[in-house]
Amino acid sequence: MAHDEPGRSRPAGPAAEGGPGAAAGTLWMPRRDWLARVTWWSFLGSLTAMSAASVRMLFPRVTFDPPPTFKAGYPDEYAVGEVSERWKRRYRVWVVRTTEGFFALSAKCTHLGCTPNWIETEAKFKCPCHGSGFDPSGVNFEGPAPRPLERFRIVLADDGQLLVDRSRSFRQEAGEWDRLDAFLRLAGRRT
Amino acid sequence: MSLPSLLVSWTRLKASAVWRSVFRHGYDDTRRNRLLQTSSNVFLHLHPTTTPASGLRFAYTWGLGGLSLLLFVVLTLTGVLLMFYYVPDTRRAYDDMKDIEHVVPFGQFLRNLHRWAAHAMVITVWLHMLRVFLTSSYKPPREFNWVVGVVLLVLTLLLSFSGYLLPWDQIAFWAITVGTNMATATPFLGAEGPFSLVTYDNDLRFLILGSRFVGQSALLRFYVLHCLALPLAAAVFMAVHFWRVRKDKFSAKAAPPPGGVVAATIAEPVADGPASAGPEGPRPERAAPAARQVDVWPHLVAIEFLAMLVALVALQAWSLWVDAPLEDIATPTSTPNPAKAPWYFLGLQEMLVYFDPWIAGVVLPGLIIAGLILLPYLDPNPAGVGLYTLRRRRYAVSAFLFGFFLWVGLILVGQFFRGPGWIWYWPWESWEVHKPVYERTWNFPWPLGLAAMAGYVGLGLYVPWRLRPEVFRTIGRGQYVTLMLLVLGMLALPIKMVLRLALDVHYVLVTPWFRI
Repeated sequence: MAHDEPGRSRPAGPAAEGGPGAAAGTLWMPRRDWLARVTWWSFLGSLTAMSAASVRMLFPRVTFDPPPTFKAGYPDEYAVGEVSERWKRRYRVWVVRTTEGFFALSAKCTHLGCTPNWIETEAKFKCPCHGSGFDPSGVNFEGPAPRPLERFRIVLADDGQLLVDRSRSFRQEAGEWDRLDAFLRLAGRRT
Repeated sequence: MSLPSLLVSWTRLKASAVWRSVFRHGYDDTRRNRLLQTSSNVFLHLHPTTTPASGLRFAYTWGLGGLSLLLFVVLTLTGVLLMFYYVPDTRRAYDDMKDIEHVVPFGQFLRNLHRWAAHAMVITVWLHMLRVFLTSSYKPPREFNWVVGVVLLVLTLLLSFSGYLLPWDQIAFWAITVGTNMATATPFLGAEGPFSLVTYDNDLRFLILGSRFVGQSALLRFYVLHCLALPLAAAVFMAVHFWRVRKDKFSAKAAPPPGGVVAATIAEPVADGPASAGPEGPRPERAAPAARQVDVWPHLVAIEFLAMLVALVALQAWSLWVDAPLEDIATPTSTPNPAKAPWYFLGLQEMLVYFDPWIAGVVLPGLIIAGLILLPYLDPNPAGVGLYTLRRRRYAVSAFLFGFFLWVGLILVGQFFRGPGWIWYWPWESWEVHKPVYERTWNFPWPLGLAAMAGYVGLGLYVPWRLRPEVFRTIGRGQYVTLMLLVLGMLALPIKMVLRLALDVHYVLVTPWFRI
């Protein structure tokens, strides 16, 4: 009874029975209900917009990461069969020289991103975090790593130096190691 | 001034309008003052004015909830002090740590207090949860407060995790690198997870780090989370937690009749009147043989003060004795070997040996948290509230203790039995000895794997229902299935460990999308 205020069910009387918009002067829905609905939707709308904006704000448009490419010296600086650790400390990359050519191996374990170590005596890369092992070509053979190490784009620069591009990576399990720049063909002689 | 005149001034001071505006009641030991002491003090009024005497037994609560709060306060105070000397900038954070250790007066001591209090808080929060479980203090009407407690446990761990990066030393960098790379393995929301919907530039790890790598933006984010966002969240949930503890009263029951020892714990006879004398008025249904009530001031407050004192002295002594570790400065291109997470996350790290990261780092921790949250809603057994009893809740207690000690066991293995390359080293073996390990693992062919998984889940659901219907039919079908799936998820871990260690099984089920 107390809630039966005027305005809640206008117009009072028989005309109200006719349903929405039945009679002239009948509202589509009681004014208070309409106001309540608008209020709730505005509240939810602004809340959603604010949350969405806040979440989006946490994804920066620009990050300030070091440049992805570097020059890795001249091809004849590498001995055939060598797994070079020369660039590992600075760029986290091993440059591997085989009889057929070069490839650049990412020194980032595919399990959880630790930096593996090259163990010369056992001819394998071994990750210190969870024990994943990779053969010299980068293929995983022990431990929890789910896939081989990634290779980076490697080409010859205009000045004849090797150029490694860490923004372009190739995955063995996707068949990408056969792609053009995943392997730099450059026959070398065993010395 | 003579003594009498001093006393006169003292009395006059206490009668003054200023004094009485601050302290509204006297300190004489009267019943009225005892009650006012708690009810008119903003800090103490988190207590009720009276409480069952049985709840004061130290061997009932072990003071673990209160100690967790004390440690949180210590962490806040020492943390604020450390903030005065620390700048979250990758170029100087590590140097600031060195300054705090060697230049700032008592810097090392305050840092030690902060670090060891954090470790201690993880322990007290865990043990508090264990205690609350063992005394059934999560059963109606306290189910939701258990949920709040689980949230606080998670917040405690997140606070530890976020604080771990700030020293910017090697272990900080690599623990956070490994930890956040697990986010990359999240199903759907991680770039490398099964059914990934995102790339490296907009997945969950990118959200956490603000970059693809652990760098400046990650340090700043962790700093803000650690110093501001997470403590605020913890404070809010703590307020809710304590409020509900107070409203629901202590769960402790008076000890059963033969053990009349308990009643003698509080030596002082209680002249405080009947149990119903509390400010909330008499409650007919509780009036019967209700637990004997005592005044919170001084009985409970004195115990709390004593526990606080002992804990503080112990913490300070420990911090004078043992320095918090600080390794070499963070170097992204060289991972320490072995790279161990902080000890409370070693259980997680050990699970990573047996499962892919999306299971070990995301699904299983998620199941643990979900299981803990759902626990009060899946245990229909009303027995044991306020008592340590195994006999009346055999299944619940054994399942929970199994999980608890499995977790502790994994931590012990990770801490004491894992050496370089995460290879098994006995504690007495030298890590200098190089152990070449060539695993020869194999996978179940997929039809067998599918059959094994289906059989495991199917039988796991069917057999208990069949064998002990009288136990399991006390809960609804949906509850039963949820409960058993959680239990089966928990048991999957030791099963997989045995399969790996004894039979060299790598994956039980291999599909093109994920491997288990």
